[in-house]
Amino acid sequence: MAYLIFSISLLLIYMGLAQLLHVQFGMLGIPNFGVVGFWGFGMYGVAVFNVQFGWPFLFALVITCLLVAILAYGLGMLILRLEGQAILCATLAFSAIVTLLVITEKWLTFGVVGLGTIQYPVRIGAATEIIYFMLLLLIIGSFQLAINKLHQSRLGRLTIAIRDNEELAASLGKDTFKTKLILFTLTSCLMGMLGGLSAPLNQFLTPNMLVPGVTFAVWIALVLGGKENTFGAMLGVFITFGLFDILVETYLPVSPEYAVMVPNFKLFLYGAVLVAVLVYRPAGILNNRQAHTRWPNADLS
Amino acid sequence: MKIRVRNLNKSYHLHPVLALQEAEFGAYELEGLIGPNGAGKSTLMGLLTQRIPPTSGNIWFDIDGHEHNLRTMRVHEVARLGLVKTNQRIQGFESLSIRDSLRLAATAHSQETLRGVLDKNQIDDDIESEIDHYLSLFSFSNPNGYALSGGEKKLLDILRCLVLKPRMLLMDEPTAGLPDDITQQVMRLVVEKARAQQMRVLIVEHDLELIWSFCDYVHFLSDGEMLFQGTPENVKKNRVVAEKYMGV
Ligand SMILES: Nc1ncnc2c1ncn2[C@@H]1O[C@H](COP(=O)(O)OP(=O)(O)OP(=O)(O)O)[C@@H](O)[C@H]1O
Ligand SMILES: [Mg+2]
Repeated sequence: MAYLIFSISLLLIYMGLAQLLHVQFGMLGIPNFGVVGFWGFGMYGVAVFNVQFGWPFLFALVITCLLVAILAYGLGMLILRLEGQAILCATLAFSAIVTLLVITEKWLTFGVVGLGTIQYPVRIGAATEIIYFMLLLLIIGSFQLAINKLHQSRLGRLTIAIRDNEELAASLGKDTFKTKLILFTLTSCLMGMLGGLSAPLNQFLTPNMLVPGVTFAVWIALVLGGKENTFGAMLGVFITFGLFDILVETYLPVSPEYAVMVPNFKLFLYGAVLVAVLVYRPAGILNNRQAHTRWPNADLS
Repeated sequence: MKIRVRNLNKSYHLHPVLALQEAEFGAYELEGLIGPNGAGKSTLMGLLTQRIPPTSGNIWFDIDGHEHNLRTMRVHEVARLGLVKTNQRIQGFESLSIRDSLRLAATAHSQETLRGVLDKNQIDDDIESEIDHYLSLFSFSNPNGYALSGGEKKLLDILRCLVLKPRMLLMDEPTAGLPDDITQQVMRLVVEKARAQQMRVLIVEHDLELIWSFCDYVHFLSDGEMLFQGTPENVKKNRVVAEKYMGV
């Protein structure tokens, strides 16, 4: 039971990441391939402040979020004027640097030995995990509400315009760079917050949690569900993470000699589902519209 | 209201495509900019709006006696000053409906903020009635849907610029891709606004009849150089223009 709660709590974290990536890529066209960098920085930041410095969890979380925001702002200043492919490479490199620093800066992170234990901020005996899960549910729910609101707002309309044709939006007097920078900073900071909230879930952190696989899982979810709406992204997470990681990996009865094959089989199925979706529903499972998914900035017509 | 240009140069890979010593645009209500294909007309308009960075040179935008140096500005800042351009090649927002596209143009940037997301009322009645007005003037096949044909997209591009209420409108081949009757309608509207002193207009066109009938002053550009400027009568009579452009 405890493991199930842990799994679906993590599922919620991934859903949150997918929602935020939906804003970054689905609404603004920023191909952030460094999701794990922001998330991981948040997770390790909270762990270091909490375990090494002895700061209370909430304080550690707030300070970490601030740091991630500053980092995202700086990175955004550097890359958000660039073409899509360059942003992709830069964010991927950013996340690689975060992982590398976590491994090498042993005095802070204990490197590959691992860092722990991060306690839940509030402990109410056996109910702790459930209450924490509820908290996450509340956060993901409010993300959903906020993004819905954004979709209906003037700012949301501007983001769509920027995604479709940034140069044209600028020629209509829109400060596209500033808009992208503000929203990129905010959403990346929230990715860091989700990372911070993941720290007590995992309790004990090791650098191998910060693999690009996290980024890819969120991206696959976004492509599966469709980048045009958040429900799509959340459904995508449910299929990839929920179905495969939780159900298949944990609860499918397989004999021990085949158990080692399960993770590989999972990757294979990820791929197969992804290809099937791209072939039959290029705009995502939830999207009826014809292939509308375009690579940003690849429009040379 | 006028744009003043000084020693403006643009080269691609050391190959000069535009070299203007000195020029002024916007002294008259309606001006034309003509010249052969590849003369640099679109390049000049792109330079004026800062969409294309110049190799060297300066551009000033004079508004009521106050000079703004456009060289130090970014594209959106130039647009906010009221210098706006319609596009020769079709441009648009494929996920925005016709109405949303016009709303986007008409909405002030001060409302497109994070705080604005919390506003209860996202519909602005003044903007809506203005958009209704434009949509009643022109017949889109589905005014509440998306711009479908190339002509509709081109028309929408022009309407987006008009909704911005520019001080000076640059039009890069507005008639290319538009059906004749729509062209007439667009021109009537643009001329009306120019004559009412609501904006100045600079038009690039290959349709010379249109230039002769609407423009007060015409600039002739060839191989990146301003070879002649004058009233339509003088330009028509000019030998250089005739040789280089009208194929006489
Ligand atoms: N991005 C670019 N790179 C290299 N050369 C360019 C570029 N843009 C324009 N040119 C060249 O600059 C010259 C001027 O082009 P421009 O588009 O300004 O001409 P134009 O007068 O608008 O012609 P048209 O009437 O055909 O629209 C052309 O020779 C063109 O090939
Ligand atoms: Mg041109």
